[in-house]
Amino acid sequence: MSALLFAELLKLIKQPKTYWALGAIFLIELLILVTAYYQGSTILDILLDSLKQSFYFEGSLLNGNLILYIVLNGLWFNVPLIIMIVTSGILTDEYKDGTIQTSLLQAVKKQHFILAKYIVAVAFTLVVIAFMMLSTCVLAYTIFGKGDLVVYLNTLNFFKSADAFKRICWAFASGAVAMVFYSLVSITLAVWIKEAAKTWIAAALFLVITNLLLKLDLGTPMLNHFFFPKLMDTWQQFFYFEIDWFPIFLNNAILLFYGVVLTFIGTWTFHKQDIG
Amino acid sequence: MIRLVTILFLLICRIGFAQQEIDADLLHIKARMDAVQQFSATVVLDLDVPFIRMPTKTAKISYERGKQTTFSSQDFVMLPKRGLDFSLTELFKYPFITVERGTEMRNGKSLKILNVIPTDNRSELALATLFMDVENQRIVQSEINTRKEGSYTLQMQYANEKDMLPNYLEAAFAVERLKIPFNFMGKDTQIDRKQMKAKDTKTGVIKMQLKDYNIKYN
Repeated sequence: MSALLFAELLKLIKQPKTYWALGAIFLIELLILVTAYYQGSTILDILLDSLKQSFYFEGSLLNGNLILYIVLNGLWFNVPLIIMIVTSGILTDEYKDGTIQTSLLQAVKKQHFILAKYIVAVAFTLVVIAFMMLSTCVLAYTIFGKGDLVVYLNTLNFFKSADAFKRICWAFASGAVAMVFYSLVSITLAVWIKEAAKTWIAAALFLVITNLLLKLDLGTPMLNHFFFPKLMDTWQQFFYFEIDWFPIFLNNAILLFYGVVLTFIGTWTFHKQDIG
Repeated sequence: MIRLVTILFLLICRIGFAQQEIDADLLHIKARMDAVQQFSATVVLDLDVPFIRMPTKTAKISYERGKQTTFSSQDFVMLPKRGLDFSLTELFKYPFITVERGTEMRNGKSLKILNVIPTDNRSELALATLFMDVENQRIVQSEINTRKEGSYTLQMQYANEKDMLPNYLEAAFAVERLKIPFNFMGKDTQIDRKQMKAKDTKTGVIKMQLKDYNIKYN
């Protein structure tokens, strides 16, 4: 199993697609930074316009913490899309190049082969999130410095700089769980579909539908709680003024459970499939 | 007969205005206030506005007579545009008349209630109601009605009986409902269209603890 994992990691490191993904994420960060640098103050003015009639503001809200929060919002669509494209490629490329037959002709168990792909997909996802967080931290704090964070979630919530940073770190950790779920979905889709382009379309469709279903009310709180699209925004709960830890923990636990179920289904399906 | 009534009316009016002298207790308080040339203090701010959640903030307040009061802070702070004039500079800026409105017992102390009405159109204030602690020569509460910017209430508490500047101040003021463009709303945000269309205003309260005073007198 460890040899398989090593081989999968090597493939991931060697393939240009990995670096294209990291480059794409870095480019998105740069665009956010440039936009914030030139238009950030104007955007904040629009946001706080109605308050300016009643209040004087002392200090700046355009700072590294706000940039990190904006980058975190990439977890809705941009980042999962990039992750799903790359992770699905871990398997679809094998189908396309015919290397899957070569690999499975060796003394390799099918379950181990696909599990190695799932594990590498998770590792890649975690690396992407870590890269995204670290690079944004360095750039955002260097250019914009530290400061209080303002977020609008039903109320206008202000957080002190140190508190904001802690919340951002937790949000990245929670967001990583959601991204891991997407990567597991992506591999499972690849198991079913096999073809790269079709898997990408299915992955994008899955992402769009998940976002659309986020606000769907299933009638009962129990169903709503277990409906996976509603678990995808758990990271945002760190930006309510008071953090309610239990639902955050529960949501992430449920999402991880769904991930394990998906991995099981994918592994089982792959095991039953004809590799030819 | 008409001429006689007119003369009597004018006479009464003249006597009435002649009686509108400025309250002596208020003048004492004003004299005490005027003795303060400048001061600085540390302010611990707690904002209580229904749609804003903000942690307790600390700022530095600097006042110099005849100049705008300034605030500085390492944090981001929001300060109400109305209600921070607790030296009542704006109130005493232009000529005014006072009307006594009786007394009220509060915390075992008798407070003198006074209406202050600016007589100069340049004044931004329309009417102020002051609750004065005559014994200690200071103002405990003021309700200010402005010409353009609505009304606000200030409540002041003092550390000891001789203090002229408060160690605690609570300013209540009207705040317009927050209008956030859709683009800036988090995906989790609940949108209540009825509530969004409502143009109601809410009352905001800012609570300030003032400490580490550095006062310079004339």
